[in-house]
Amino acid sequence: MTGAGLGLSTPRVGGTDRVTGAQRFAADIAIEDVLHIALVHLDCGHAAIEEIHTSAATGIEGVVRVFTAEDFPNPVPRFGPRFADRPVIATGETKYHGEPLAAVVAVSKEAAADGAAAVRVEYKELPGVYSIDDALDPDSPLVMDPGLRTGDDPLADSNVRQRWDWGWGDVDSTEAELVIDEIYTFPMVTHFSIEPHTFAAAPEGGGVTVWSSIQHPYFLQGTLASLLDLPISKVRVHAPDPGGGFGGKGFPKYEPLVAMIALELGRPVRLVLTLEETFQAVRRTNARLQLRTGFARDGRLVFIDAIEDFMMGAYADIAPRVISKSSYFAAGPYKVESVRAVVRGLMSHTTPSTAFRGFGAPQMTWAIESQMDAAARALTIDPVEIRLLNLAGPGEEIVPGDRPADGDWRQALNIAAERVGWGEPLLPGHGRGISVGLKASATAGASYCILRILHDGSVSLIAGTSDMGQGARTILSQLVSENLGVPMERVTLVMGDTAVVPFDYSTSASRSTVFMGSAVVDACQKAIAELRGKTAVQHKVSVEDVVFTPGQISIDGAVYTLPEVLNDVFGAVPGEIIVTGSQRGEGDANHPLGGPASFYEVSCTASEVWVDFETGDFELVKHITVADVGKAINPQHVEMQDEGAAVMGLGHTLMEHLILDEHGRIVNLGALDYRIPTFKDMPATMESVLVENGDGPGPGGAKGSGEGGLLATSPAIAAALSQATGVVIKDLPLTPERVWEAMHGGDEGHEQ
Amino acid sequence: MSPTESAITLTVNGARRTVRVSPSTTLLEMVRTRLELTGSKECCAEGECGACTMILDGEPVNSCLVLAVETDGSEVTTIEGIGGAGMTPLQESFLTAGAIQCGFCIPGMVVAATALLERIPRPTESEVREGLSGNLCRCGGYSRISAAVMAVAGGNAAT
Amino acid sequence: MTWFEYQRPQSLGEASDLLRKDDSVALAGGTDLLVALRHRAVRPALVVDLKSVSDIAEGIEVEGDRLRIGGRVVMSRLTRNQHVGRHFPALAQAAAVVGSVQIRNRATLAGNLCNASPAADTAPALLAYGATVIASRPDTTRSIPVEEFFTGPGTTVLERGEIVTAVELPIPPTTIGSAFARVTRRRGVDLASVSLACILDPSGRARFGFGAVGPTPLLAESTFDELATDEGWSRLLAVTSPITDVRAGAEYRRAMLHVHSRRAFQAASEQLRAAT
Repeated sequence: MTGAGLGLSTPRVGGTDRVTGAQRFAADIAIEDVLHIALVHLDCGHAAIEEIHTSAATGIEGVVRVFTAEDFPNPVPRFGPRFADRPVIATGETKYHGEPLAAVVAVSKEAAADGAAAVRVEYKELPGVYSIDDALDPDSPLVMDPGLRTGDDPLADSNVRQRWDWGWGDVDSTEAELVIDEIYTFPMVTHFSIEPHTFAAAPEGGGVTVWSSIQHPYFLQGTLASLLDLPISKVRVHAPDPGGGFGGKGFPKYEPLVAMIALELGRPVRLVLTLEETFQAVRRTNARLQLRTGFARDGRLVFIDAIEDFMMGAYADIAPRVISKSSYFAAGPYKVESVRAVVRGLMSHTTPSTAFRGFGAPQMTWAIESQMDAAARALTIDPVEIRLLNLAGPGEEIVPGDRPADGDWRQALNIAAERVGWGEPLLPGHGRGISVGLKASATAGASYCILRILHDGSVSLIAGTSDMGQGARTILSQLVSENLGVPMERVTLVMGDTAVVPFDYSTSASRSTVFMGSAVVDACQKAIAELRGKTAVQHKVSVEDVVFTPGQISIDGAVYTLPEVLNDVFGAVPGEIIVTGSQRGEGDANHPLGGPASFYEVSCTASEVWVDFETGDFELVKHITVADVGKAINPQHVEMQDEGAAVMGLGHTLMEHLILDEHGRIVNLGALDYRIPTFKDMPATMESVLVENGDGPGPGGAKGSGEGGLLATSPAIAAALSQATGVVIKDLPLTPERVWEAMHGGDEGHEQ
Repeated sequence: MSPTESAITLTVNGARRTVRVSPSTTLLEMVRTRLELTGSKECCAEGECGACTMILDGEPVNSCLVLAVETDGSEVTTIEGIGGAGMTPLQESFLTAGAIQCGFCIPGMVVAATALLERIPRPTESEVREGLSGNLCRCGGYSRISAAVMAVAGGNAAT
Repeated sequence: MTWFEYQRPQSLGEASDLLRKDDSVALAGGTDLLVALRHRAVRPALVVDLKSVSDIAEGIEVEGDRLRIGGRVVMSRLTRNQHVGRHFPALAQAAAVVGSVQIRNRATLAGNLCNASPAADTAPALLAYGATVIASRPDTTRSIPVEEFFTGPGTTVLERGEIVTAVELPIPPTTIGSAFARVTRRRGVDLASVSLACILDPSGRARFGFGAVGPTPLLAESTFDELATDEGWSRLLAVTSPITDVRAGAEYRRAMLHVHSRRAFQAASEQLRAAT
């Protein structure tokens, strides 16, 4: 057997360990002499900390020490991917429900938890900013200390952290036959990785070693080096494969706290968040999107005039990027003459929002696609037709001057329509909806890898991608196998340790197949060149006479296997071929997003529902996703991720939302009342279809994938509901109660 | 205040074990930290996610909702006790069906599915969905997991 | 969880004595208690495990015209029991939606009642079937009709040291119609926003049990004639007082009570007609 072949569904590399329980996640790794941390937080969103009494906690057997802001440098160090605004531990006040203000260290998890329960905090609850309206109210308290902003920030006296003005053409002078003016909301939802975030740290070699269930270990390494004033080489991050990330494990959260405690105590410490604490640590940016959309009589989209507000939370984290990157594509995958979008990123006394699968695009898609359906209804145009009319064809621009459409999106839409049975007669109570979503991929960033062909011809690939469920090990192994002709089972991936694995910007934005994949292909090509060169010297022929085909080298008709070649080249003293591969996206400093997207991830969803009119309950009869992926290196892996994304989309569409009370507390804090889909919530029929036109920038023409399946879920299902019931819902999730209210509750829900 | 630890003896994956535990230690905690079998996972810690599923005296349970002291004299099977040296056809089926993404829910899923097939050797698809609905998979691999179970139901497996 | 002592008594007397202590709690299946312990919602000094108490039965027995469900019977057992399935299908259906398989393998019927959640899944069926709770102490045993058992959210008429040893249901002398219905936020494993059971007997009597629409599970009675009118339905449902909480709004709960009560009545009527 030689190459695994691109396009073959080889089984998951690492699957055996996962199915037998042998896979070690961050909380499973034994760390000798480790102490346990439990966090202390308050039962409200915003409070002034007056006094923290720790003596009762330190009196508990097994409690080693209680850390508060006073135990850290003054001012308490701050960090963050966009702005250094998040303190290592709350100082002076807590700004969201669950923000840690003390950390209890103990010899056991139980003692740490008991200690945390025994810490007594004197505090004064303060008025909080818990909604978009609160954030925009000039009388609301300022979430962010204006002193933390740069000197001349004109927004310093407001809760607007950042504002973007996107646009082209002239909206005011663009004539439209029909203007749809609506407001859509997208709620706070949380990642709910089944593996709760886990962090550990230990002093080591004059620096620190950290274990984290993180997606971007190198980002964490850089953050810690800068916070601790250490050379990057003195910070070692072990990043075992995350048990689900979805963006929520991208950027550092409590690792700086844990690392500083370990250094202070001179001992290893570990913090495993409870599921409740993960809800308080990460969430998707909620949004209110007010769109005035103009259409010509024939259904042509002519302008979008939008005010888009996104509630970021108490610290910016990566939310400004989530907002700017998604809102920049103001019309999604459509061509439009003119756009004017005012976009605001708002601070609030809530959990800092962060990256979450789709990176802002599900919010945008919800509004844009719902507008398309409203126009289709008003103009009595078929929803598929109005989309086909407006979708950018290959090479057509969606933002003037920017990267044009890189796929045949109309083809994807047509497939979705066909698979769902678009146009076929509907049974009573049934409705169908269809929708398109676009997400821009990574703009800049680099991936490096080291490839070693060992002297028996087996391969060790050292690459910094995090395998968090997408199957990076499989894909990267397939690329090595395909390019070098080494069987899959003789390729070993080394990942997850910054001390030995070279830099990778991040595992996000569906970038790994394209970026790391290209770096691996680059390394393979260099390895082949080196093999050919060395063989040429050995055989005293010119390099041109040494022909490499996967798995073998031939010279003048004589064929040698890889082990033979290596044996030949190195002789009695074994050696190995060591090469590096890289793929860099340099970006463009003049581009509003720091560079054009390296590809677009476009997905179509088509859904059929059956509605129980008396209860508002509805069943998903059919749910189709079509992903434009360029080339599926492993179709099974792409499909399983696309299905998974669809299921996650069903979550935020049908049932998920974090509910806050007037104190800013998350009311449904925990698995009992924050519901995610189960086996029984699956559509009766679910299909994932791949479009492969080889038009992506990655190996074999691949684009990134795995996020697309959730982009267009909400508008497709909402449109299906509208068709079945005649009511239109503009707020998520589409719970039976909300559907019932729209159908039975008077004006709301009925289109004007 | 120190708890009264007591010694319990139980059979874990076929081996008799005697462990000293405090009353507030859960079965999950004991198995993970005292017996160092980390295949069973903790997520919600309140019986909602199924990641900690073990078979206790023949029936699948959430080990986060069982006190270790309750299991004195009991027989417990964890993911490490499924299949012994090799993998079971069900485990193989998870691999070939593409049922594994991040893998964190998978040990609990495999234990729950193993117990399901013991009770109902030839389940319908809806029995599989019902039987596993106490196990959450946030990667959304449900349809492939249920396909993996159906593929081996009733000894369909090509071992 | 906080520190506590653990005892596993063998006899009812011993268990009852231990549970007479102020800060003791009983442990049956543990599926509610362990969650409460984890959240420090209860902080007992002593947990009394009832699983070895020989006087608390583990079986389901027909005794004359009654079905006796032992205090240690778990939900999955109820769902598989032929007597329950034959005589009390609405109870079997209710037991089958308590949590997941894993939960049903631990959670007991007696525990579900003693936890006294307004949303207790099995309570509406027990109310409608006219069940009684058998509560014992070493010296006394009393039979408490389920409708008198609950006093508020999380509270019952049980006195300290009193233990539920069984739940008894009168086996219907004639064919009856029954139905169970439930509103949840998702299809898989969920707590009910509304639950109800409806029992109809050939004499024209209707008994409804309701869950999650009042401070306790509720019983309401009516007749076929009454339920032929809208006023009759309003009178039937007047016993309920739904509130808005994280699971559903009061208005939706009220509306669903109407829809599902009527549907349950319809289904039970059809059963009755088919059998008679």
